[in-house]
Amino acid sequence: MKLRAPRTGLRITTILVSMVVGVVAVILCCCIFLFLDRYRSAVVQNARTYSAQAVSQVSNTVANYLRDMDQAMELVEQSMSESAASRDELLTAFPEFRPEVVAVTSYSANGALLECWAPGHEPKEEIFCNLSFDLNTARAKGTSYMTAPHVETIFEGYYPWVVTMTAPLPEGGMASWVSLDLSFSSISSYINNVSIGQRGYCFLMDEQGSIVYHPQQQLLYSGLKAEDTAALAALEDGAYDDDTVIYCLTSVPGSSWRVVGVSYVDELVNRNVEEMIRLSFVLAAVLLAAALLTSWVLSSLLGRPLRGLASAMENFETDADHFTYRPVGGTREVQELSDSFGHMVLRIQRLMTTVREEEINLRKTELKALQAQINPHFLYNTLDSIAWMCERGRNADAVQMVHALARLFRISISKGHELIPIAKEIEHAESYLQIQKYRYKNQFTYTFDVDPDCLDYYCNKITLQPIIENAINHGLDLLVDEGRIDVRVQHEGDDILFCVQDNGVGMSQEQIDVILRPEARDRGGIGIKNVNDRLQIYFGKNYGLHITSEPDVGTCVEIRMPKIREGDYETK
Amino acid sequence: MRQNKYAALCASLMLAGLCGCTSVSAPPAQHTVTMVAKSTQTEFWLSVFAGAEAAATEYNLQLTILGAETEEDYEAQNHLVEQAVEQGTEALVFSAIDYENNAAAVDAAARQGVKIVAIDSNVASDAVSTYIGTDNYAAGQMAAQAALDRVEGPLKVGIVNYDVSSANGQERERGAVEAFAASGRAEVVNIINTLASASYARIDTTHLLEEHPEINVLLAFNEPTCVGAAQAVRQMKLSEDVFLVGFDSNVETIDGLQDGSVDALIVQNPYAMGYLGVESAYKLLSGQDAGMEKKVDTSTRIVDQDNMFTIDSQKALFAFEQRTD
Repeated sequence: MKLRAPRTGLRITTILVSMVVGVVAVILCCCIFLFLDRYRSAVVQNARTYSAQAVSQVSNTVANYLRDMDQAMELVEQSMSESAASRDELLTAFPEFRPEVVAVTSYSANGALLECWAPGHEPKEEIFCNLSFDLNTARAKGTSYMTAPHVETIFEGYYPWVVTMTAPLPEGGMASWVSLDLSFSSISSYINNVSIGQRGYCFLMDEQGSIVYHPQQQLLYSGLKAEDTAALAALEDGAYDDDTVIYCLTSVPGSSWRVVGVSYVDELVNRNVEEMIRLSFVLAAVLLAAALLTSWVLSSLLGRPLRGLASAMENFETDADHFTYRPVGGTREVQELSDSFGHMVLRIQRLMTTVREEEINLRKTELKALQAQINPHFLYNTLDSIAWMCERGRNADAVQMVHALARLFRISISKGHELIPIAKEIEHAESYLQIQKYRYKNQFTYTFDVDPDCLDYYCNKITLQPIIENAINHGLDLLVDEGRIDVRVQHEGDDILFCVQDNGVGMSQEQIDVILRPEARDRGGIGIKNVNDRLQIYFGKNYGLHITSEPDVGTCVEIRMPKIREGDYETK
Repeated sequence: MRQNKYAALCASLMLAGLCGCTSVSAPPAQHTVTMVAKSTQTEFWLSVFAGAEAAATEYNLQLTILGAETEEDYEAQNHLVEQAVEQGTEALVFSAIDYENNAAAVDAAARQGVKIVAIDSNVASDAVSTYIGTDNYAAGQMAAQAALDRVEGPLKVGIVNYDVSSANGQERERGAVEAFAASGRAEVVNIINTLASASYARIDTTHLLEEHPEINVLLAFNEPTCVGAAQAVRQMKLSEDVFLVGFDSNVETIDGLQDGSVDALIVQNPYAMGYLGVESAYKLLSGQDAGMEKKVDTSTRIVDQDNMFTIDSQKALFAFEQRTD
């Protein structure tokens, strides 16, 4: 049996599992990547929309505040044209229904404070500095204008943040200007409470980028925080995002103010995206595990029976004779394969038996043909001997020789039967020895010691003769002393044991091996090898010849064959 | 063997998945921070609280603000600290009334694993991770320098300080006294320690001015003493004669600045103290405290009549009132 070359191919399990898992992994990666990319841009868009909404809401609120202020201012201007009494009445009542009004003040042409209507507060006697009204600015503007938020400084112990609107009054009256101070706290607290996400906020700036109101203006003032308002002022309205911050700008309608919303990408976007990344990786892991499991189960469903089939084939290859096939279960394809293989095994085994039988028959035929051959030298010599006997008038001897020769041939042929009774075989051997003894002029003696019980059993014909021939030719021929051949037949258990013992020159172990080698032929006759072959073909490896020899002492050839009755093997 | 390998692979994948699941389901924890202040009344502290609230909102912290009734009651503060630790606060933003006597309570809190940040007034404890506040010595020098710059001739200085055990007041006093001494034309006539309340400060300042009429420069080292001193100066009609340098802003001292009873104010930055204090607490709790400085100075500025109504000063001096509706 040749050794198998090591396998280099991959198992179906490996291929299937790695392919499925690989494909799933690649698809998952692509999906996750695409999904996260989309998701991130959606979230960013969302955050921008969200900021824009918050900012536009602030802008609306601020616009409303400014519109309210305009309305209030109109009312104030109107009241200034009325008589002093009704004006006082109106402006005193005014703050009651407009609680955000801090003060209404009127100024003379040279900027002196004339009158002040403020609920619950009286202006100081000596005003150190009035931030609500600046004569130079008022003169420069000419029309009504609005200030940035500032502190109201005309009262004692009361410093609210206000936005002041100042309008010139028609000529002719006492007052040239009227100012309305409106509390800024409603806007400031509104803006303070606006949050975009958790940390996001809004602030107000003017067109030039100076901050009007910032919820963390103390931080700005302390230098702990800075807003790049110059850059922001240059931007159009809309949403802008960089890596960390989303800025959202909206102009407040009807004013120079702009609302800026600041929100953090980190909390609005990154946190969501990170969570989604984590989630999708978990999902991917679960899917991969599922793919792995499924493909593994699938492949083992397919691969295991195939491996069973493969190992069955391997077993069949190593020992075809004793292989019994057990069908392999599995999928339908595998079952079909298995069935086919089963049929094939039976077929091959049958073929093998047939081939072996044919071989044996061929061999038997061949051996039979050999048996039929008679050593021509033997025949010539024997006939020469008979002729010589006749010439010398030894007729009785000649008759005996002719009889022996006839017996020899008769038994040799035995009507073509291979197996003959042991008695016949003994007779055959005796005939041969008789002839040879005449020819060798009584140079040797022989004895037969046959167990009578064995006589009825059968044996292969021409079994003893080649051995005796060998003993005479090689053992006794060269012997100076008288030779001796003892033939014994006995039974041993279920076997019959023939034993041919001579006292010839003997053989070395090498010579014994040569004799039993396949090419050994005894000059065209049936060699010892052939005897052995025949016995083994008929009865198996346990039977045949066993030669023991000792140089200068003799050789003993043992022939073992089973006990056979008539007809047992004749059919073969 | 092969099967084992696959089984191991499967198991590890599952495990990884499970880990992922658990990490996803863990919600972000909200840290708790407690601020224990000296007072909950003065404008200075209200501004600190505003800054603290801003930082707490920004960093998503659960902030509790506590304060003593009076600015001398360190025992109440110790009690508040204990109480906060009992309620499981993770960080303490602390302003010590008493540099020495608050130390034990702070150390005890630190032993419970609470992170300590000191603001405004430090405490004698090694557990303090960082101190955020005014450089009081420099602020004292600044107050002295304000007077030296604005008053000509020899200076007779009276100092109205508050509790003698407060580290801040003592540092400011040292800075001022040394700056005056260095000038060579100033003499510190008397130093009084009064309670941090306007009425006590007014009475004590009145006594001081009556006893030492030669005083032409008066220093008051915190908000209530400054208010009290300003009241005394105004009542005694000495606004023109006495140059008063106060600390921190307040409606009354702003009025005083305008009518002349107060001549200069050293304005600290309480909003920044509150904000940075809570921010530092957050950094300590979230493990971002690498490279945190042991001491952070918040800015101070001098406000007088000339600059009190610039827009920057307005923003520094006047808080936006919060609507309660």
